[in-house]
Amino acid sequence: MLYFLDLLLLSLVVGLVGVASNPAPYFAALGLAVAAGVGCGALVGHGGSLVGLMLFLIYLGGMLVVFAYSAALAAEPFPETWGVGSVKAYVLMYLLGVGVAVWWFWGGYGDHWVVVDEFKEFFVVRGDVSGVSLMYSVGGGMLVVCAWVLLLCLFVVLELTRGLSRGALRAV
Amino acid sequence: MSPYVITILLSSLGLGTALTFMSSHWLLAWMGLEINTLAILPLMAQHHHPRAVEATTKYFLAQAAAAATILFASTINAWATGEWNIYCLTHPIATTLITMALALKVGLAPVHFWMPPVMQGLDLPTGLIMATWQKLAPFALIIQMAPTAHPQLLTTLGLLSVFIGGWGGLNQTQLRKILAYSSIAHLGWMIVIAQFKPQLTILTLVIYIIMTSATFLTFKLMTATKINTLAMSWSKAPIITTMAALTLLSLGGLPPLTGFMPKWLILQELATQGLPLTATIMALSALLSLYFYLRLWYAMTLTISPNTNNSLAPWRLQNTQNTTLLTIFMIATLLLLPLTPLAQALI
Repeated sequence: MLYFLDLLLLSLVVGLVGVASNPAPYFAALGLAVAAGVGCGALVGHGGSLVGLMLFLIYLGGMLVVFAYSAALAAEPFPETWGVGSVKAYVLMYLLGVGVAVWWFWGGYGDHWVVVDEFKEFFVVRGDVSGVSLMYSVGGGMLVVCAWVLLLCLFVVLELTRGLSRGALRAV
Repeated sequence: MSPYVITILLSSLGLGTALTFMSSHWLLAWMGLEINTLAILPLMAQHHHPRAVEATTKYFLAQAAAAATILFASTINAWATGEWNIYCLTHPIATTLITMALALKVGLAPVHFWMPPVMQGLDLPTGLIMATWQKLAPFALIIQMAPTAHPQLLTTLGLLSVFIGGWGGLNQTQLRKILAYSSIAHLGWMIVIAQFKPQLTILTLVIYIIMTSATFLTFKLMTATKINTLAMSWSKAPIITTMAALTLLSLGGLPPLTGFMPKWLILQELATQGLPLTATIMALSALLSLYFYLRLWYAMTLTISPNTNNSLAPWRLQNTQNTTLLTIFMIATLLLLPLTPLAQALI
């Protein structure tokens, strides 16, 4: 499990380097998808099973698909991959930076962010999952507010983009 | 815009500010700020011309970055100290990050660059909302976190804002940009006193809102967005033009007018706290702002524009705009100074 977690974290860093090194948008979208996916895996490995699952479903399943789709719409005839000179320079620079950071901060790692023994009666149900019931009981009001924010978001997006002749993002 | 949609947006604008006001938890405060930002966006872009859309985009990017920083910093604080309460913001990195993020949100000096172009892209009523209502929620948070914030950071933000607000407004001919810089300068006064006497921050904010509302509503009545147009205002409404000149002096902080009250009390408090240098610098910087208010004043009342005027007496015609709000704000802008003892008794 430890080696698997190391592999996930390594892939996370590689995925982030893939995004940050300015390749063509759809290669960057691939890097972002990799980083998001293995990031969710790393969260599960550190005790956040539910958060990992939710991020995987919502962030990766919903948002990133739309993002990758719109990035692909902005297709370039000669996309820059990670092998092209300028991008490769960035990749090497970031990897070097990661190496320096690892050398600097080595050790002092390995915390779980939910202490399982904290929830004695629920030792089967992880603390993370029992948090869901708390979210629906104690945090009910906050959930209502969150739902209202999402609805408001929908209204705002519709209002900003409605109408063929008066779309917000093109000059009329 | 459909009245149903505008109802939803305006009530959400109120809801966001109210949530931030009542919240003691960083997550809810952040959510209120986000609701505020989201609800104003369609109002900003309601006239679909490129400048308005550009202003909306800039505003969205700046506010989203600030809100993300607030969320990040409050998470760091909760991680390090296990405390989500707004008063318990004790981790130094989190405190500094949130101070800078709130400074970006209201438009304080080193991170003020979004504000003049955004104001310039809006029409005057929306600009009024932007300069007044949108400042309330971030200031509720600033007042709560100011005791734990880094004192030198707050003073630096304040002094920089006052100076950049004064210098930036000097070379402008566009009224909305001038008002944006005037807003930056006033925010500097508010932030510099926030750590010593937060009640004075509230007082300054209230009086700034009154004064800037009077100015925005006057310009709306004149349909003026440039100094040139302002020079023609004597033929549209002579009495309001005269009073608007006094409003500008009140914004500049001259003694018999309301705008003098916050500056007076802030300078007194700074001197009492043993900071005469800061007080002197603040007082001197007010002259910079006063200069561009005086220029507006000059163009408005002291001179007559040397062009041939076709309509000398439009003031004889019945004005169709509602001036109730303007009346209230303008009287408050001009005549509130005698209430200073009351303000001092309350704070």
